[in-house]
Amino acid sequence: MNAQSETQVPADRDIIRDALLATFSLFIPVIPFTLVFGVVVAESGLSATLGWSSSPIIFSGAAQITLLSLLGEGASTAAAATAALIVGARHLLYSAAVAPQFQHQPRWFRWLAPYVLIDQVFALLKLHQHTDPRAYRLYYLATGFGFWSLWMLFTALGLILGPTVPESWGLAFAAPVMFVSLLVGMVDSRPKLVAAIVGAVLMALLLGVPNRGGLMIAALVGMAAGAVMERWPR
Amino acid sequence: MTPVTAILLTGLGTYLLRAVFIVTASRRSLSPAVLSFLEYVGPAVMAALVVSMTAGSSGLSQMKTPELGGLCAAAVVARYSSGHLYSLIAGMTVFWLLRAFL
Repeated sequence: MNAQSETQVPADRDIIRDALLATFSLFIPVIPFTLVFGVVVAESGLSATLGWSSSPIIFSGAAQITLLSLLGEGASTAAAATAALIVGARHLLYSAAVAPQFQHQPRWFRWLAPYVLIDQVFALLKLHQHTDPRAYRLYYLATGFGFWSLWMLFTALGLILGPTVPESWGLAFAAPVMFVSLLVGMVDSRPKLVAAIVGAVLMALLLGVPNRGGLMIAALVGMAAGAVMERWPR
Repeated sequence: MTPVTAILLTGLGTYLLRAVFIVTASRRSLSPAVLSFLEYVGPAVMAALVVSMTAGSSGLSQMKTPELGGLCAAAVVARYSSGHLYSLIAGMTVFWLLRAFL
């Protein structure tokens, strides 16, 4: 590594420190979700161990809550799994969006990384873009497995504490607040603003679609609106 | 199928959704048009998620003044600060205050 690249690429410990700091601050709004998760498992009638096992196996809060809620309501297991996958379908878009950064990554990382590609990790990757493949890999792994560790711990605590927290506290509102914060950081041009507005408005119109199936439609149309706006003559 | 199978299938499906482009498309170059389109994944998905999560299971009727006030406060703080925690504190504080006084 020459002197010039040494000044351009941050040290490993700086990358990991930045990633973990961002992970901790973004995990705070997720804590209410872990309490909701605990309530859902308790109401589903499944054992706490089986309910918690969905954390390492699925590692997607919304998909886990959807699956366990539906199983608890008596839905068939096929229907519950299908609904959970529809809820998680946005991960397909994340996969496509980050794929170009994986062209110069080792094979083991290409197979491991998708396991921790959650909303927050995707957002942090977009906000803190590392062009150096090793720096990108370190940042990705630190945020991904930082979230993973916290999610495993707090979903276990949620099983105990969730049923004791009153719903009237409105803690679940922390999740959309967190996503607004991430969204504002991403909108740095007029086409991106258009993509966000169209995505939000269309989602509001499609709230009635079962299992939040409107999310993918709203996202795709919003993306198309942004791309069209980019080419629109001023 | 049992609940165990449902959890395993959902886990496998979720992994495949996340892996499909990373594993298969990472060695191919995407066209500039596709790359340009993918630039908007973040804003479009995050905005749709905000609406979806705020509305919850009750629909748009769930989005009242406290919720809208909290989201606006969080957005303003996020615009002028770099810490997501400040944004969270502002959003939740305004949300709780408006809920208490309205």
